[in-house]
Amino acid sequence: MSPQSVYEQLDGAVEAMLLGIGGNGEPLDPSVTQLLGVADEVRCLPWPQFKQRLRIELQATAASLHSGDATSRARSMAVPRQPLRPAAQEQILPTLFGTGYGNYPIHRSSFMVSAVLHLVLGGIVLAAGIWIARHRQEVTQQVMYLIRTDQPLPYDGKGGGGGGDHDVMPASKGDLAMASDEPVAPPVIVLRKENPKLKAQQAVVRPPDIKMPQNVGDPLAAIFPPSNGAGANGGIGSGAGGGIGSGFGPGVGPGYGGGMGGGIYRVGGGVSPPLATYTPDPDYTEEARKSKHQGTVILWIVVGPDGRVWDIKLRRSLGMGLDEKAAEAVRKWRFQPGMKDGHPVAVQVNVEVNFRMY
Amino acid sequence: MRAVLAEADERSLIEAAQRDPRRFAELYEQNVDRVYAFVVSRIFDRDAAEDLTAEVFHQALANIGQFEWRGTPFIAWLLRIASNAIADRWKREGKYSPLPDGGLSETAALDGTERRMMLTQMIEELPADQKLVVMRRFIAQRSVREIAAEMNRSEGAVKQLQFRALQSLRSRMGEK
Repeated sequence: MSPQSVYEQLDGAVEAMLLGIGGNGEPLDPSVTQLLGVADEVRCLPWPQFKQRLRIELQATAASLHSGDATSRARSMAVPRQPLRPAAQEQILPTLFGTGYGNYPIHRSSFMVSAVLHLVLGGIVLAAGIWIARHRQEVTQQVMYLIRTDQPLPYDGKGGGGGGDHDVMPASKGDLAMASDEPVAPPVIVLRKENPKLKAQQAVVRPPDIKMPQNVGDPLAAIFPPSNGAGANGGIGSGAGGGIGSGFGPGVGPGYGGGMGGGIYRVGGGVSPPLATYTPDPDYTEEARKSKHQGTVILWIVVGPDGRVWDIKLRRSLGMGLDEKAAEAVRKWRFQPGMKDGHPVAVQVNVEVNFRMY
Repeated sequence: MRAVLAEADERSLIEAAQRDPRRFAELYEQNVDRVYAFVVSRIFDRDAAEDLTAEVFHQALANIGQFEWRGTPFIAWLLRIASNAIADRWKREGKYSPLPDGGLSETAALDGTERRMMLTQMIEELPADQKLVVMRRFIAQRSVREIAAEMNRSEGAVKQLQFRALQSLRSRMGEK
């Protein structure tokens, strides 16, 4: 018989032995028969983890005996030890029945705690799902209050401006320059260029119903020697943009965008956002409810120093009467006003009003 | 001289375990292979043998305080517990017990267990690939195909390793 035939014959006999079935009746090679006896003894050797597992069990029992725990002692002696789990269970759930995945002993209590926690979490999720399913016809308006600083502020006639030409001296006091919707030349006190090729009337963007200037300067400044101020981009003051004052733009005073300053601020640069303290939900219109219309309305609002909503503009429409409902609700909102230098100021923010049907 | 020293060591271990059960681990390490070999040589079932071996040591630990040193080896006491446990098991299962009423005699109990104890050590001494085949094929009871895939060898090569491993074990057992 060739060696390969012997290997095959031995393996067939081993397979039959492991499966607990008889052979195929064919006579075996004598060498195979001898080796089968050894194989039969080998297959009854214990699992490699058996000794370690039993040692851990005994150590736990010994520790409880040593600690004098009468309850543990009685239990360990009176209650029959649970038989070690069959190998199949170990392979299915090694963290419960086996020796775990690593070198550390398993703690079945950990498995049970985990199982209970999962059941509780599953119950919560299930209950939440049932609640939502039962209340799906109800309309819930989830209102989110967002502060956005990345969108341009539309000019509304309020604002401010500032300028200067990097003078070391603050701007000197004086009257406002004349009003203009589109000023060509910013106001100046100290003329740096004596004979410009193109002469233009200096002006700022401000309401026109004020008296004409006599001595151009910053009306909020202290009296200084003639100076255009420490600002930039022309104009008068410490701001920038060709206006007068500490703001930015062609207007007058703090703020930006033109017009008279000290009006509306935006969040950032020392201006804190207003915080909503009372935000009643908007109503759903019947039309939107029937058509299950959902979405978000974005409103531009001004929160005054008194915490009330001064002004509202629609930035993103949703239709079906929801824009009006959103504005109606937001008008009732109350805020803790935005602050600048420790004083409440009017601040512009955008808010999103979400209409969702659950 | 060596036997006397071993006896003294064992006695001190027993006394230590009687004072502090946590010292029982050393007695366990010394005797677990022999107790398992004794049990499995009588019931020929791995899972049952593991359960009974565990039962023997739990009983021994619980009753170590009652053990009285009379010069007989500690393993004899363990094997007596094992004999009784096997008899109880057969009785519970309604099987005929081939053991006499008083259990196996100490001499009879010690016979036949040495061979299985040696087998464990011999497997450890096999070449790595033969040892792996033996462990997978006989302990984990995997098929030749699975073992071949795991070892990245052909099935024929695994069968050859199986043959060589058993042949080596047999020859070593014959030597001893």
